[in-house]
Amino acid sequence: MANKESREEVFKKAKDIVNQLAVIIRTAAIHDPGNIAVTTAIEKFTAITNPLILSEGELVLELGGEFFYLNEARIRYPLEYLPSFDFLVREFKKRELGSIVFRNALKSEDMQSFLRAFIASASSLESFEALAEEIAHVSSLGVGRLRKIRDEEKTEGSSDVRKMIKKSYFNAVSYTRGVVSKIKSGEKVNIKKAKRVVESMVDLILEEEQLLLGMTAIKDYDEYTYHHSVNVSILAVALAQRLGLSKRALTELGLVALFHDIGKIEIPSEVLNKPTSFTDDEWHMVQKHPFWGVRAILKMRGIDATVARAAIVAFEHHMYHDLSGYPKTRESYELDFYSKIISLADQYDGMTSARVYSRIPMPPDRALSLMMERAGTQLDPILFKFFINMIGVFPVGTLVMLDSKEMGLVYQSDSAFLDRPKVMVVINSKGERTDRYFVDLTEKATDGKFQRTIVKTLDPNKYRINLAEYLL
Amino acid sequence: MELLDDIRVAKEIVQALLKAKKTFRMYPDTNPMYAKTIEDTNAKFRNFFDYKDELTFKIKQNELFCDSEQIYYNSQKEDNIALFFFKDGLREITFKKGFSVKELEDFLKILTVDYDREVLDDDVVTLLWERDFQNVKYVVDEAFLTEDEDYESEAVREVKDKASDGDELSKAYEDSFNEEGVKDAVIVPLTDKDLHTIVKEIDKDAHDKTGKLVTIIFEMLYQAENKSEYEDVVHFLNSIIEFSITHGDLETALHILRKTREVIGGPAIADDARKNLNMVFSFLGFEATIKLLGELLDSGIEINEKIWDEYVAFLDKNAIQPFITILGELKSIPARKNVINALISLGKKDIQSLAKGLYDSRWYVVRNIIYILGKIGDKVAVDYLLKTVNHSDIRVRKEGIKALGELGTPGVFPALRECFNDPEVQIRTAAARALGNIHSATAKSIILQRMTNAVFVKTEFSEKKEFYEVLSRWKDNDVVEFLMKTFRKKVFFKRAFNDENRACAAYCLGLMGNKDALPLLHKAKESKNKLLREYVYSAIKRIEYGQ
Repeated sequence: MANKESREEVFKKAKDIVNQLAVIIRTAAIHDPGNIAVTTAIEKFTAITNPLILSEGELVLELGGEFFYLNEARIRYPLEYLPSFDFLVREFKKRELGSIVFRNALKSEDMQSFLRAFIASASSLESFEALAEEIAHVSSLGVGRLRKIRDEEKTEGSSDVRKMIKKSYFNAVSYTRGVVSKIKSGEKVNIKKAKRVVESMVDLILEEEQLLLGMTAIKDYDEYTYHHSVNVSILAVALAQRLGLSKRALTELGLVALFHDIGKIEIPSEVLNKPTSFTDDEWHMVQKHPFWGVRAILKMRGIDATVARAAIVAFEHHMYHDLSGYPKTRESYELDFYSKIISLADQYDGMTSARVYSRIPMPPDRALSLMMERAGTQLDPILFKFFINMIGVFPVGTLVMLDSKEMGLVYQSDSAFLDRPKVMVVINSKGERTDRYFVDLTEKATDGKFQRTIVKTLDPNKYRINLAEYLL
Repeated sequence: MELLDDIRVAKEIVQALLKAKKTFRMYPDTNPMYAKTIEDTNAKFRNFFDYKDELTFKIKQNELFCDSEQIYYNSQKEDNIALFFFKDGLREITFKKGFSVKELEDFLKILTVDYDREVLDDDVVTLLWERDFQNVKYVVDEAFLTEDEDYESEAVREVKDKASDGDELSKAYEDSFNEEGVKDAVIVPLTDKDLHTIVKEIDKDAHDKTGKLVTIIFEMLYQAENKSEYEDVVHFLNSIIEFSITHGDLETALHILRKTREVIGGPAIADDARKNLNMVFSFLGFEATIKLLGELLDSGIEINEKIWDEYVAFLDKNAIQPFITILGELKSIPARKNVINALISLGKKDIQSLAKGLYDSRWYVVRNIIYILGKIGDKVAVDYLLKTVNHSDIRVRKEGIKALGELGTPGVFPALRECFNDPEVQIRTAAARALGNIHSATAKSIILQRMTNAVFVKTEFSEKKEFYEVLSRWKDNDVVEFLMKTFRKKVFFKRAFNDENRACAAYCLGLMGNKDALPLLHKAKESKNKLLREYVYSAIKRIEYGQ
């Protein structure tokens, strides 16, 4: 490393590298790479990259899952950069391109050669091979293939990660249970611990978002309330990280989400878990829980910014985007940003879980359809778009039938191809139960067509299929 | 670098960190010692990184290790850097070669935080996490986050027990052929406008949320159904007021108070709620609340005068005593000035409570209270103020006399007259000025009596001059006659004293602008007495030219 500050520089400029690369590719799709519009963009690009290549030796821009990494460090970016990042993810995936290595000093002609090859490869049946072959002579650039799913990654290779995720998830649930018990007995709640629990979840969302989201798909725990709080927290943080919120804000949001339903501790469990519809009195009681939530939070400790936020969300999480929910307010009202995020996460997790709302859990894809109808009325329509981008059209846990006649469970969504998630196949095309294997629905056959497509979705609850068996 | 050298330098780094931890607590970042500490500590790190890319400390309860060598041990709790890291779950910390000076400074700041403070929700790990160092990595043992060791295994077993058998899955497979196919998923892409809207919303979201919380608490009030719920609302409003004051945000506190007043005066709430809501105003005057207010005033945060005045207007008389208490504790002049103004406004509601401050053991507080009583101008205060004329501290006595002069009831004359016998010239002249302020015939008479007393002739010239100056406020014949007589007076003995009196009389006539005195004054222009000559000359100039 040329100097001690350079690594920090790399991290600072990483997002600009991705952004500018997207600009170049977009421009080159319209103009010839030799056109001044493209070469000017290339100049800007090399002005950022070349000093870094000089200090770092080389720059490796890699696509891992839904995220870009520069020299192995995950690139974070503000919301304004989202279109560029999404565009580049799609373009990389189209070509099965996993990484670009920039070495030596990049010249404009090298980038022009790359762009010609990149644009041309889109129409090739073997896009990656075509791209790699075309740029083989360019010494300052190299490409690597997108890593495909390997079973061992999801079993042996990633078992430590899965263990860590499970531990963090259950720590959060167990902590939430402890908090509720403490509040009930009037004991003091340790917020330092809550922060640490949420920080650990935030880290996992930043690094292993889909695996943690997978944990939220399991809905068969006896202690629904605690799992619901944690699930809402995870879903909210995952959504907010896509909005570019800082780590500190993500922690605050996660913490606030953990306590959004705390008012329910005052509702007798026989009412909360009642198998039939609520009486008017019971409904009145349920509608009071936002008030009780505010009270519980404000009594838990002195007021500070986070406490204020938690109380606001506890009050607002059922009010809805158009304020048609409850509680009704006397004065004009505007929903808090966190409340909008959390109410989305709350509705989704609530609908796909047993014992709330209709008391019959909905399959995730159906819940999303219903939420789509509510976007603009009950739910913030723009945030809903982000939400669906995050969990995909077929969220984790959806039981799907493929056109290959294989049946499986969605276990990872794909933000570039929302309707083409990764699926864990549990019944093969002959209709036989099989050792699970993983398929990526973005994979194409040699004729350029997708190898598999979802044709049907089924309700796993109807068949008492326990997702935990597969996702834990 | 040899291994032994590594260990030696690592030890030096630990010692430098320990030293920096102390220095950072002692000196502000503007102090040269602060900068030197960073420089010295950085030099130690650079020394290490000249040869190695990473420095890792393994952390045990009372020990630090580097390359399996113990480099630090401390069995005490105090100043134990190993324990400091260990207690929050840190088990390993690694500094990388790129560790910059800025990162070092931020790291040292984290070391210096007072984690024992009740209000602090962050521990070392949280702060390291939030700072997101590029060149500091750490390993944390999160075991302490687990509330219940068996929770995970029980929960997992529980869901796995419910797992379906293969038949259910096969049935689902068979049924699926009869299910309706998925419709083409409608994927609505995010537009630039969407992004723009969200970016704006995120920006807006950065604003303080306390005002929003206040709105919610009032909504809770509107829907409250019993005494306990009213009490909760009041408690929460009080807490928000407290929070706002602590954060220098009197505007939010005022918002609550205005809203409370509006709601109390309106039809929106029940009588019980109204009664409870009044407690918000009482809370403002609680000792703890006023103490917070004092801290805010002393913090140097600029407080808008209008906001302060409006806030004070909401206070009740229960705030008087706590204000008196903090008046003696405030460090800054503007802070004291604000409290004095508040007491002038509040004291009107209860002079008796305010007057209790006259018994405060701190002389400067007593003096302030006298000043406040004087400014209020309520004659009821005279009885209390009369006692201050005998206070042990001359500064208090002077202020008391001045206040009596401002109030000027008949009851003050004996005390002021008595002050003329005080051995302190400052007290005698203060009494004269107080009488001058009263400006009544009685006051004039008391002054003239004093000035015609044989003792007065022998007093210091400066004291005499003060008395004559006071006398000039009465521009009536009695006074002119007295002055003319004094000016004309000739003696054979003690001529110097007499000339001093004449000079003072001339000075007084000048102040009064008495033109009738001009011929007399002109005659004395050439007096042999220099003092007299100068005062006569000045008096003429003042009368003739108004200078």
